[in-house]
Amino acid sequence: MPDRPLVAIVGAGITGLACAHALRDVADVTVVDRIPVPGGVHGWEAAETRELARACRAHMRLGETAIRWDGLALLAIGQDGPQRMEAAALVIATGARPLGRAELGIAGGRPAGIVAATVACHLAENGLLVGRRPLIVGGGDWAMRAAGELRAAGAERATLVCPDGLLRERPVDDGVHVRERDRVVSVAGTPRVRTATLASGETLGCDAVVLAHGVAALRNVDGAVWAGDRAVYAQPLADPATVERARAAGAEAAAAVRSLIDQEERP
Amino acid sequence: MIGCAVAWRLSGTAARVTLIEAAHDLCEGASKGNTGIATSGGDCHPGTLELELVRRSSPGWEALCARLDTPFHRIGTLAVALSEEDEQRLPELLRDAQDTGAAAEVVTGDQARALEPLISEGARAALHFPDDGIIDSIRLTIGYAELAARNGVEVLRGAPVRSLARDGDRIVAVTAGDRRVATRSVVNAAGVEADTISRLAGGEEFRTWPRQGQYWLFDRELGGRFRKVVGGVPTPVTRGIYCVPTTNRSLLLGPTAVDREDRTDRAVDAETLDHVFDAAQRLVPSIGREHAIKTFASNRPASDPTYRIAVDAAVANLVHAAGIRSTGVSSSPAVAEMVRGLLEGLGLPVGDQRPDAVTELEPLPRLLGHPSPEQLFARDPRYGQVICACEQVTTAEIAAAHGMAVPPTSLEGVRKRTRATGGRCQGAFCLSGVSFLHSLHAGRRPQGIAVSEPDATLGVGADDA
Ligand SMILES: Cc1cc2nc3c(=O)[nH]c(=O)nc-3n(C[C@H](O)[C@H](O)[C@H](O)COP(=O)(O)OP(=O)(O)OC[C@H]3O[C@@H](n4cnc5c(N)ncnc54)[C@H](O)[C@@H]3O)c2cc1C
Repeated sequence: MPDRPLVAIVGAGITGLACAHALRDVADVTVVDRIPVPGGVHGWEAAETRELARACRAHMRLGETAIRWDGLALLAIGQDGPQRMEAAALVIATGARPLGRAELGIAGGRPAGIVAATVACHLAENGLLVGRRPLIVGGGDWAMRAAGELRAAGAERATLVCPDGLLRERPVDDGVHVRERDRVVSVAGTPRVRTATLASGETLGCDAVVLAHGVAALRNVDGAVWAGDRAVYAQPLADPATVERARAAGAEAAAAVRSLIDQEERP
Repeated sequence: MIGCAVAWRLSGTAARVTLIEAAHDLCEGASKGNTGIATSGGDCHPGTLELELVRRSSPGWEALCARLDTPFHRIGTLAVALSEEDEQRLPELLRDAQDTGAAAEVVTGDQARALEPLISEGARAALHFPDDGIIDSIRLTIGYAELAARNGVEVLRGAPVRSLARDGDRIVAVTAGDRRVATRSVVNAAGVEADTISRLAGGEEFRTWPRQGQYWLFDRELGGRFRKVVGGVPTPVTRGIYCVPTTNRSLLLGPTAVDREDRTDRAVDAETLDHVFDAAQRLVPSIGREHAIKTFASNRPASDPTYRIAVDAAVANLVHAAGIRSTGVSSSPAVAEMVRGLLEGLGLPVGDQRPDAVTELEPLPRLLGHPSPEQLFARDPRYGQVICACEQVTTAEIAAAHGMAVPPTSLEGVRKRTRATGGRCQGAFCLSGVSFLHSLHAGRRPQGIAVSEPDATLGVGADDA
C-alpha cells in the first residue's frame, strides 16, 4: 500500500513496539534501534517483546542509531552507512535514565567512582566492580538492581540512600542497608570518592556513589530533543518501568501520531 | 594552555623541546575549566601587557584554529545593562573599551534583543563587542600540543617537576617524574604552581594562588539557540556571570571569582551555584534548571602582578610565563611568541622556522552536525558506529583520538578529545562502552583503566583485593 503514511519510531523497546503495533493498519512503520535486538530494558527474552515484534509488521532497522530529524526525514547510521527515511511523523521511544549528578544537586569535588546505575550494572555484569562499599542513591528499580548486581559482583555492603523512601520491597540481603528519606548533598575524596554527606548532616564513608534516583527521558536525536516538528514523545517516566506502562505509552503515542496524520491529510 | 602554546611555537624552530606536565594528561589545569571566550580586549585595561597580548592574538583566531582543528566562532559579546545604574555606566565603559582598540558599541535594549532574542525584556541597553569569539579551549590546548609533538617535541605526562639543578646562575637539568632532562633553558608555565617552580629553581620569590570559578553546564539544545555571549555590565571588581554558548553548543553559566588557598580544591557548593544561576537567569529568563547537565569548578592561576612574562632576575635561563590569570586562552598565541622572543634573546636557536616543520593538523571530522555523513562513512565505516549517542561520537573518532601523537590515557582524556560521555546524559548510557573501547585501544584491562589520574580507577579491580 504505497500511499499509507510513513512513520519512523526510534526505540524498539516495548513502548516503540507497542506503538508500531497500534499503527500497523494505518501506516508504514519503521522501527530503529541502536541495539541489534528488540526489547529495550525489558529484553529480547520477554514474552511481550517477541509477541509485539512479530505482530507489529514494522520494518526493523536494528543496530542503527538515529541521529537527526528535520521534520521530514530521519537520519540513522549503522553498519550499512547513513540511511535517510522520510516520515510523516517521528516517535521518540528511546527510554529513560536515572538522574545525573547535576540534576540531583550533588555538590563537592569531582572524584572518580561516581557513576550512573545503568553503568554500574553494565560494568558489574562484565566483571568490573565500581565499589566494594557503594552508596546507592535511589530507592526504586534501578537502585535495587544496582544493589543486587554489585553485591553479586563482590561488593561487601551497599547502602541505599532513598530520597523518596524505599519504593520497592525491602531487600532481604543483610549486606544492603537503607537510609530512607535522605539524600546526598555532596561528595569528597581524591582520587576516588571517600565520603558522601547527606542532607541529614551525616557523613558516610563509601568507595563509590551510584546514581539510581529519579527518571529522565533519554533523548539524543537532534531536532527532536525538546519540541520538534511532527515529533511525538513516548517515554513513560516511571520507576519501576513496567511492561504495562510501556504498552500504554506506546498506544498513547500511536493515537497522537494518528491525529497528526489526520490533520496533515485534511486539505 | 600556556606551556602547550609555547611548545607549539618553538616546535617549528631548530630548538629541541621537552614539554613537561605533572598531571596524567595535558589540559588538566585552568585550561580545561574556563569560559572559553576569546576576548578582543574591550574588557581589558589599557596600557597593560595583558591587553597588548590579547590584541595581538585576536585577529588571528580564524586562521590559527583552522590549522589546529579547533572550533572557533566570532559571535560577539553583549554586556547587558538591566538597571538604570548599569545603563548610566555604559558611556564610560564604552570610552574605556575604545581606548583598548577593540571594536565596541552601545546598543539600545531593542537592538540588543534583535542581536540576541533570548535576553531579558528588562534589558535597557548593552555594550556590544562584535569581535569577541568563543573557542574550544580544550581542543586548542590539545591542538597546540599535538602539533608540537608531530614536530618532534617530546611530551612527558605524569611527570611532576621535583627539582631543577643549577650550575651558577643557570639551570642545567630538570628532574621530572623519573626523568632527568638536561637543558639550556626552562620556561615556567606551571599555572598556579608557577611560584613553586621558581622556588625550586632558586628564582624570584613571588606568590601564585587559585582564584576559583564555578559553573553550570546546560544542554546543547539550549546553547544552540544562543547567538551571542551574554554577560552583565562589568564592575571594577569582576566581569560577572556570563551565559556562553560553547563551540559544542552547550551553554555555560559562570564563572564566580573567589580567591582560595587550596590549589587542588575544585569543589562546587550549592549556594554559589544558586547565585550563578540566578545571575544568569536575570539576563536570560528562559533558562531552567531542568536542563543542567553538569556543574564544575576550576582555578585561575592568580598572581601579583598578573602576566609575569620575563626572564628571572636571579636565574639567567629561566623564563616565566606565569600568573596568566583570566585571559590566557585569548592571549596564548601572543604569549607564546613573546616567550619565543625572550628565548631568542637568551641565544636559543628559535629565530627561524625549519622548512620541514608541520604547520597544521589534519582535521578529524566529527559526525555530529556533519553535512555529509555519507562521505564520512565512505572514508571509514566506523563512522557508522555511534558509541556516545548524546554527542553522537563514533568509534572512528575514538580510534582516531587514540592514534594521536598525544593520545588519551584516561576516560577524561577520551572526553576531552572526542566529547564522548560529555553530553546530556553524562555517560549514563555510553560510559561502559567507551570504557571498553578505551581499554581495547590503550591495551589495558578494563579494571585498570582510569577515569582521570592513574589511581582514579573506574573499578576497584581484583588487584587491590
Ligand atoms: C574560571 C575561569 C574562567 C576563565 N575564562 C577565560 C576566558 O573566558 N577567556 C580566556 O582567555 N581565559 C580564561 N581563563 C583563563 C585561562 O583559562 C588561563 O589563563 C589559562 O588556562 C592559563 O593557562 P596556564 O597554562 O598558565 O595554566 P594551567 O592550564 O593551569 O596549566 C598549568 C600546568 O602546569 C602543570 N604543573 C604545575 N606544577 C607542575 C610541576 N611541578 N611539574 C610539571 N607540571 C606542573 C599543571 O599540571 C598544569 O597542567 C579562565 C580561567 C578560569 C579558571
